[in-house]
Amino acid sequence: MAQTNVLLKFYNEYSAKTSRKLKVIDAYLFYILLTGIIQFIYCILVGTFPFNSFLSGFISTVSCFVLGVCLRLQVNPENKNQFYGISPERGFADFIFAHCILHLVVMNFIG
Amino acid sequence: MFLKRILVFLIVTIFATSHASIGGYICPYSRKKFLEIATRALNTNTEDISVIYFGANSFKLLNEALPKDLKTASCEKLNKLFKPTADLSTLFYGLSTNKLLGCDSKLSVEGVVKIAQEALQSDVSSVLDLHYASEILTLLGQPLSNQQKIVQLIQAQLKTDDSVLNLGYALHIAALLGNSGKFIINRIEDIVVQADEVDGKLLQWEGGLSTTSQILTGLLKFPTSNQLTQVQADKLGNYLLSRTTVQTPKGVSVLLEAVTALAASKISPVSISIAGPTSVTVNKPELRIQVTNILGQPLKPTPSPVVAQSATRIADDVVVLAKQPLSPGTKESEFILPLKLEPGFYKILINAGTHAATLNARVLGPIEIKNFEIGLSDADGSSVPKLEKITFPNKCSKILKGDSGQNLLVKFTLSQQVHQAFLRLSAGKKEIIFVAGYESNNQYKIEADLGQELPLSDTFTIELIIGDSIITNPIRWNVGNIEVKLSGAATQSVGPKIIRSAKPEIVHMFRQPDKRPAEVVSLFFTALTLTPFLVLLVSWKKIGVNFSNFTPLAIPFHLGFGAILGLFALFWLKLNMFATCAYLIPIGGFTFFAGQRLLSHVAKNKKPEKADK
Repeated sequence: MAQTNVLLKFYNEYSAKTSRKLKVIDAYLFYILLTGIIQFIYCILVGTFPFNSFLSGFISTVSCFVLGVCLRLQVNPENKNQFYGISPERGFADFIFAHCILHLVVMNFIG
Repeated sequence: MFLKRILVFLIVTIFATSHASIGGYICPYSRKKFLEIATRALNTNTEDISVIYFGANSFKLLNEALPKDLKTASCEKLNKLFKPTADLSTLFYGLSTNKLLGCDSKLSVEGVVKIAQEALQSDVSSVLDLHYASEILTLLGQPLSNQQKIVQLIQAQLKTDDSVLNLGYALHIAALLGNSGKFIINRIEDIVVQADEVDGKLLQWEGGLSTTSQILTGLLKFPTSNQLTQVQADKLGNYLLSRTTVQTPKGVSVLLEAVTALAASKISPVSISIAGPTSVTVNKPELRIQVTNILGQPLKPTPSPVVAQSATRIADDVVVLAKQPLSPGTKESEFILPLKLEPGFYKILINAGTHAATLNARVLGPIEIKNFEIGLSDADGSSVPKLEKITFPNKCSKILKGDSGQNLLVKFTLSQQVHQAFLRLSAGKKEIIFVAGYESNNQYKIEADLGQELPLSDTFTIELIIGDSIITNPIRWNVGNIEVKLSGAATQSVGPKIIRSAKPEIVHMFRQPDKRPAEVVSLFFTALTLTPFLVLLVSWKKIGVNFSNFTPLAIPFHLGFGAILGLFALFWLKLNMFATCAYLIPIGGFTFFAGQRLLSHVAKNKKPEKADK
């Protein structure tokens, strides 16, 4: 019972205190996480062949997740002190640029 | 053993008291080659008088008359090239060549004497200049005046540079100066000491053939005081012989100069060698030995006595001949040594006067086959073999018939032991060779297991092959035929396999791809991986994404970013990396520009809001 209470409280707090912008990013992160998990399940059930395609797909989700987390960190107003001089727009631009590079590599590797 | 020691002692004493000889002479082949080089030198279209000189000088030293047309052409060339105002070396070569060729037309030598005389009295003349100048004056029949001054100049020059080559030139000048040139005698010991020994066999002066020749000819102009020993002369001779491979006209000329001077001297090296073939036969045992000087000419006076001190059979070191005098041969320089010995290799020590040499010679003799027997025996040795005797060169009376349970047995005796004794069985292109085993007392035996050794049933020709380097009549004797019937072997063999042919082409094997999962599974999972996108849309909707901030400025950015993603999809499907990068640069630039405009617009709009808060 205590666990559900904790979870419920956590969810309520999250809904109330987190800004909408961050929620959007969190939804995106959740989507990435789900995709990665499904890919991993496929790998366990069916097999890794062709291995490079699996790797590029999986790495793509992992990297997207990492980049998303970075974006979230930079956009979060609570972390303003640590990212002084980096506006949320700058963070978004970096995010887009990193994605361009990442997917060029992923496409090269996918075969 | 004791006898052997005495012999060694004797040989050592002989060597100690007599001089060694040199390993050869200027052979006819070298003479011919030298003549060719000299002819070529005279025929070349050269501007350099020295080349003509070297050619003409080689002809003279080889004692060969110059062909008339060559002489006329050379004289014309000389007349054209010679100018009395040239430098000393050209003047010297021109005048010498004129003398050597004996041209009819005279060279214009006006002023040459004056140039040479001035050079001989000048402080700045090098030893080489002095050498040329004095030679020029001598060639023109002029006396060398003021000799004290010349001697002073030479000594002054030698003080600054007393290399062996300069000393060599000084020797030549001193020889021309007569009594005044005696000063050089003090330097002779110094010159001789500077000669380098190579391997204990050759002697030369540093600077090569021309330097050695220059110094040697200079030294030999002082026959009473040149201090060269016979051993040194022999080593110098060996050095000169080792250089008979020279190819240049100058090399040939200076080599011949040195060799001629050496041969004419009192210390002329002696060459003791075998003339003609180094092997004799039992029927014609005369070994021709040649005793000459380095030029290949007979010695004057003829050395005597010429004795074969000893002859040793190399195989077992037995002395077979001692102190046998040689009889004179057809030529003056030739001596005959009859080698009435058993066939074999011999080492012969020849003494000619005070000179000695060790020569290797070979005596060849005929070989004889005795007691040849052939037959078949049982492989298990159960019965006594029946052997047929055959005398060389008859053939076996009947065809032998063997099968796989039998051995072919051949026995024979030779008059001496040989290197090669084989029995060859052949049928068509197939052959098999057995090596005869040496038993004892020059007896040989071959025993061949027919079942084991022969590959197939056939009629084989039997041949006996006897060979050696010291027999005059190597034998290949067709003994007869043998018909072999093997149990279980093919009667007709397949032709020999062709081993040399093109190998099959190597085709690259790609790794077989693993089996792919069924299409349904793949499609299902593709759909499954896409479903979270719906989750994303739903959750965004729940959160309530607003597009209120959407401006027309955003359109180019979204178009650009979409284009990049589309390009990546194309890259995956068909483009290569280079094409992709080429497209990426303009699209990326456009997107960057549009994105920057958009984001700065967003930031601008946001700031006042923040200020409100």
